[in-house]
Amino acid sequence: MSKIMTVDILSSIKGAQPSEAVNKLFDVIKNAQPTNNNSFNNNHNNGVSLNDLRDDVVIESSAMEKQIIIENFPKSKNGYLVVSKVIEE
Amino acid sequence: MDSQIKQLHQQLVNKEISCTALVQEKLDALKANTNNTVNSLLDTLALELASKVDAKIANGESIGLLEGIPFGIKDVYMVQGTYTTASSDLLKNYKSAYTATAIQKLLDAGAIPLVKENCDSFGHGSSSENTIFGAVKNAINPHLVSGGSSGGSAVNVAKDYTVFSIGGDTGGSVRQPAGYNHVYGLKPTYGRISRYGLMAYASSTDCVGPIAKSVEDIRIVLNIMSGKDSKDQTTYASAEIDETSITNSEGIKTIGYFKNFIESDAIDPKIKSDFLASIEKIKAKGIEVKELDFFKSDILVSTYYTLAMAETASNLSRLDGSNYGNRIDDKNLKESYAVTRSENFSEETKRRIVGGNQVLSQGFSDEIYLKGLALRDAISVNFENDFNEVDIILSPVTPNSPPKIGDSLKDPHAMYLSDAYTVGFSLGQLPTLTVPQGTETGLQITAAKNNDELVLKFANFLKDTL
Repeated sequence: MSKIMTVDILSSIKGAQPSEAVNKLFDVIKNAQPTNNNSFNNNHNNGVSLNDLRDDVVIESSAMEKQIIIENFPKSKNGYLVVSKVIEE
Repeated sequence: MDSQIKQLHQQLVNKEISCTALVQEKLDALKANTNNTVNSLLDTLALELASKVDAKIANGESIGLLEGIPFGIKDVYMVQGTYTTASSDLLKNYKSAYTATAIQKLLDAGAIPLVKENCDSFGHGSSSENTIFGAVKNAINPHLVSGGSSGGSAVNVAKDYTVFSIGGDTGGSVRQPAGYNHVYGLKPTYGRISRYGLMAYASSTDCVGPIAKSVEDIRIVLNIMSGKDSKDQTTYASAEIDETSITNSEGIKTIGYFKNFIESDAIDPKIKSDFLASIEKIKAKGIEVKELDFFKSDILVSTYYTLAMAETASNLSRLDGSNYGNRIDDKNLKESYAVTRSENFSEETKRRIVGGNQVLSQGFSDEIYLKGLALRDAISVNFENDFNEVDIILSPVTPNSPPKIGDSLKDPHAMYLSDAYTVGFSLGQLPTLTVPQGTETGLQITAAKNNDELVLKFANFLKDTL
């Protein structure tokens, strides 16, 4: 990607700037000396074993669940969700 | 053993109180409370469930231990048909379409949900001030913060508005408010309780955690909620913790504490001296106490926030007002996303999302995010080595007493540093319980992964020792 993305674009937050309070935290990490540089060992590997995957099946939502999802639509027309025009660029 | 749940259960069974009267009394107290603990009351549902329990008792049917026991739920858990706002403008009118696994298990056991409880928005905070429902006031001194993010839950338990409450703990959000309000709060081993239906903050440390007034009630509620869930593939099967297995301290011979936590300049002198006095009482009972080396507090806090911010930036990217939430339409889809998020997220939430995107961006991820992951591994290795030496690690919950309402919002960096003693155990995914003893903000008891039983056991020992 050639385009530089600033944090306000990445975050979808208008005018967002890195904060001083948070940068102070990051400075500590930059200056820290980890005792190992292997960031992918297994100490926090919580992934499920391949032998223990759940069944790959479609589970129908209840009528109540569907009803609430529709109630949560920010804007709707004839029961359908209304969204703005899709990005054109 | 001391247990509010068992006591109420007996009163219900003996027909000394009706469930409807019990629930009504708690609902009235919640409605009248001035601590800002309530986001929404579930009064209709609660009274309907209570009358069913009363009918059962009247018919001479037996009831389960949790049947008819009123409880509270931090407003980040899905409960079908109820408002689930995360204390945010973005979701202030959002209704859950389904129910979280942990909460469903409590409902299946007959417990009665009373209230969705105030908290820091999306769990982003340590004071429960970062909320659209007004700062939660401390149960003991209303001029002080309740702690956070599960502040409403801890205050409700402390004030007896709920018998127990279910908070969420990512970096201390159950343990710290429990300490600030003098109640018990457990962060179980990561994966012991399903996160399905808990609004995600930082998925690799998010834990469902019970808050209650006794160790026994924590045990009862923990047992009900634990277990493997196909809807959260990080969960594991765990054995039920038996009441008799935690009544004595057998098997606990050595404990340790982190020397640098106590020798730090940042710790309040009273918390330090009270902590050391507790250590002496434990030694007097014949338990060996070892001083342990650990990472500096600022490294722990920075590692935690780096990873938590990266994860929350990803988790909250779905909140764009398209399918749900308080959408603000603008000239096109992209602008609508940006305006919706800018106007509806709190300053603290925006700070964390931006921080997360900073550390995940090209050019920064190696220097900060990946280094944070490496530090986390080193922290975990440190814990593994420690638990070869000691059975339990004891620490204060916070370096200082609760701040005044308003102070944390002025100085976010100071607020981050106040999590110094809780975040390490989150990164290690270890079981840690706050007990309301030992220092003004309590003590934390930590054991090795999957050893939640030992934590409860030591808590019972401390109850008799301190």
